[in-house]
Amino acid sequence: MSFSTFVTDKAGLQQFYASIVEKHETYAPVEKFGNFDFVRVTSLSECDPASPIERTRSIKPLFFPRSAKIMKYVATSAGTEVSETDEDPYAGMRVILGAKHCDARGLQVLDKVYNWDYIDTDYQKRRRNTVIVSARCDKAAAHCFCTSLDYNVENLDAMDVLVVNGPDGKIYLKARTEKGENLLKSDVARHATSVADEASAPALKQQYEAFASSFRLKMNYTEVNGKLSNIFDSPEFEKVSDHCVGCNTCAFVCPTCHCFKISDEKLKDTGVRYKSYDSCNNGYFTLMAGGHNPRPAKYRRWRQRALHKFVYYKERFGDNLCVGCGKCTVACPVNISIFEVANQVASTAM
Amino acid sequence: MEAEAKDQLVSIEKPALAAPPDWQPVIIGILCNWCSYAGSDLTGTSRIQYPPNIRIIRVPCSSRVDPWFLIKSLQASADGVLVSGCHPGDCHYISGNYYARRRFLVIKRLLNFVGYHENRVQFSWVSAAEGPKFAQVVAKVTEDIKKLGPLHLYKKENF
Amino acid sequence: MDYTKQIQEIAANLFAEGKIDVFVGYRTTGWDNNQVPVLIADPADVPKLVFNDKSVFNLVNYLKREHTRNKRVGIVVKGCDSRSLNLLLTESQVKREKLYVVGICCEGVTDEEGNKMQNCTECIVPNAVVSDVLLGTPTGSETVTGSYRLNSDVEVLHQKPLAERAAWFNEVFEGCIRCNACRHSCPLCYCEKCCIDQETATLYHGANTPSSAFHALMTWSMHLAGRCVDCRNCEKACPSHLPLHLLHKQNEAVIYENFQEHLAGVIEGDRGAFYKYSLKDPDDFIM
Repeated sequence: MSFSTFVTDKAGLQQFYASIVEKHETYAPVEKFGNFDFVRVTSLSECDPASPIERTRSIKPLFFPRSAKIMKYVATSAGTEVSETDEDPYAGMRVILGAKHCDARGLQVLDKVYNWDYIDTDYQKRRRNTVIVSARCDKAAAHCFCTSLDYNVENLDAMDVLVVNGPDGKIYLKARTEKGENLLKSDVARHATSVADEASAPALKQQYEAFASSFRLKMNYTEVNGKLSNIFDSPEFEKVSDHCVGCNTCAFVCPTCHCFKISDEKLKDTGVRYKSYDSCNNGYFTLMAGGHNPRPAKYRRWRQRALHKFVYYKERFGDNLCVGCGKCTVACPVNISIFEVANQVASTAM
Repeated sequence: MEAEAKDQLVSIEKPALAAPPDWQPVIIGILCNWCSYAGSDLTGTSRIQYPPNIRIIRVPCSSRVDPWFLIKSLQASADGVLVSGCHPGDCHYISGNYYARRRFLVIKRLLNFVGYHENRVQFSWVSAAEGPKFAQVVAKVTEDIKKLGPLHLYKKENF
Repeated sequence: MDYTKQIQEIAANLFAEGKIDVFVGYRTTGWDNNQVPVLIADPADVPKLVFNDKSVFNLVNYLKREHTRNKRVGIVVKGCDSRSLNLLLTESQVKREKLYVVGICCEGVTDEEGNKMQNCTECIVPNAVVSDVLLGTPTGSETVTGSYRLNSDVEVLHQKPLAERAAWFNEVFEGCIRCNACRHSCPLCYCEKCCIDQETATLYHGANTPSSAFHALMTWSMHLAGRCVDCRNCEKACPSHLPLHLLHKQNEAVIYENFQEHLAGVIEGDRGAFYKYSLKDPDDFIM
């Protein structure tokens, strides 16, 4: 099925965004203490869909919330009643503006694990009901390396509507899915003109080439993936992780990390079961009842993290778990770069 | 006295609730075993009435009171907290209440700093012989909390 | 302020004489002019060491058990860092004989934009208070009586009405994602089973909700009261850029104004305000 492409200018794009905010439940980057987090907005002036990537949080919390209620219980004299929690606040029809490419790609990667041995119906519903409007970056930030990984950024179909800044102040809006097509048709026609794919292709290619050449970090992915698959016992893991402080930050800001923990909170006779973020970097992540912990040392946890990101997930699901967004490096208290870790360890392979 | 804006201090998920007409505050009383708890017992045996809103927790010494108790109580269902111990110099463990006195000042100021009214958390020295004083203290605290209304700030997310 | 050469020389000598197993210092990131910690075990890596006004992170964090357990460590400390080292020594977390301490007479460090950090502009203990070798010329006062200043942000908040403070802090705690980067970066948070780490939380709220964030941050600041040295590791580590120093500086102000104590870690062997009492401590807030 072929999808439409429209061309407009900066003013037209703002009007397109404004009409979306007016008509749909919209989530967009809103600044708080220097970071941009995706929250509900009711007017375009509250947010900045073109927020700088190095300060923009992931859209993952809109699909996998930081803490979600999954069950309620009430203890009565007749026994304990377990019930569903209230309506999921993230399950309505909604539009996300200003999602970054790597973020949207992260969701595609997560889709695999959420459709695997257990079909996570909450997650599926949120995915089905969300339309993602994403602007392709014009240039890479310091820690980006999405183009080095095993997916084609040029033709990425993870978002429903792709926004690209073309030459001469033109902005292209490209539908990539049926949901995106519907959104464009209903909201943009007044602000933009339809244009044929062939006519827009050269401009899009030009933007992509400028973008691809702006990367500081480039990795030979196939080589790194191949080498890391055989390097479990490398002492280099200890060296690269020695200054990790063992917090949870990298996993929490990552667009693809999906570990969680279950905790029960009670108040007198009622209680709620929460599912919240967890991180394999934490010292007690693998602590078992009985006291055994197979990953007590920092380097073991870092090894698990690097290999999960670059080897295990690909083996099992065919996709690299890391999308090369660099958020972990920016957020890390000591700026450990997973790109450097992967390369440094791979370079010690025979 | 600084006014608490009841409409502004909201729990995250539900809007501020005005106190319903039959609302009664929940006050947690943390009393040291040797003086204050015994003092409260004397209040009872002397048949002196005091408001029933206080729920008493007995600890061996006021020094046992970790600031966490206050934070947790306020986060759960308490509208106010009273901590009471022996008079300085009379601690059963000699110096426990001296250490506690320092902690109490710091946690009280910190809670006020982040937005709690200073009357939400109150302290007293009540000896084992001060039955009437205990009743007065509880009455004062209950009255203060009733005036402030239900606590909504930073409450555990409503179920 | 640049002691790169001196530190490289000292580290090289220490390795050559077999006196240390690991040297904890700073290296440049490789992608900008900021610095990150490095734990050097191989003498060949000594040329990576640098030290200037971008050397921000409090390295004493790496003296905690999980990082340099049973090792002989060489470490670089500035004024505030050395105070946290003093506290670790006082609290029996590190053995002095296992350390070689390079003390710096610090002139202040800068943040990513190049501005001097706030705690540096208000610093009154710039010189390392414990060291085996001291680099630079001692300046400023090491006693704190009479020269303590209330943190300017805390002062501003004190002037605001209660409701405004509550609304503001409510917003702040909402940004906390319970990543625990603050407590893992703090040199004085060495509890292996931390009460605010959700992994080990049985008493504390385990879910990542704003209410649990308040709970955790308040408790954490009370556990650091009288011990915090204002190194700002926590604030720099926080991915949500929360102004955590407000809680710690508030506690420090109350302690300093009401109990006649030295600032945390200035005097060797001094355990901090909550380990002591005075018969003259304020009592008028107690009925």
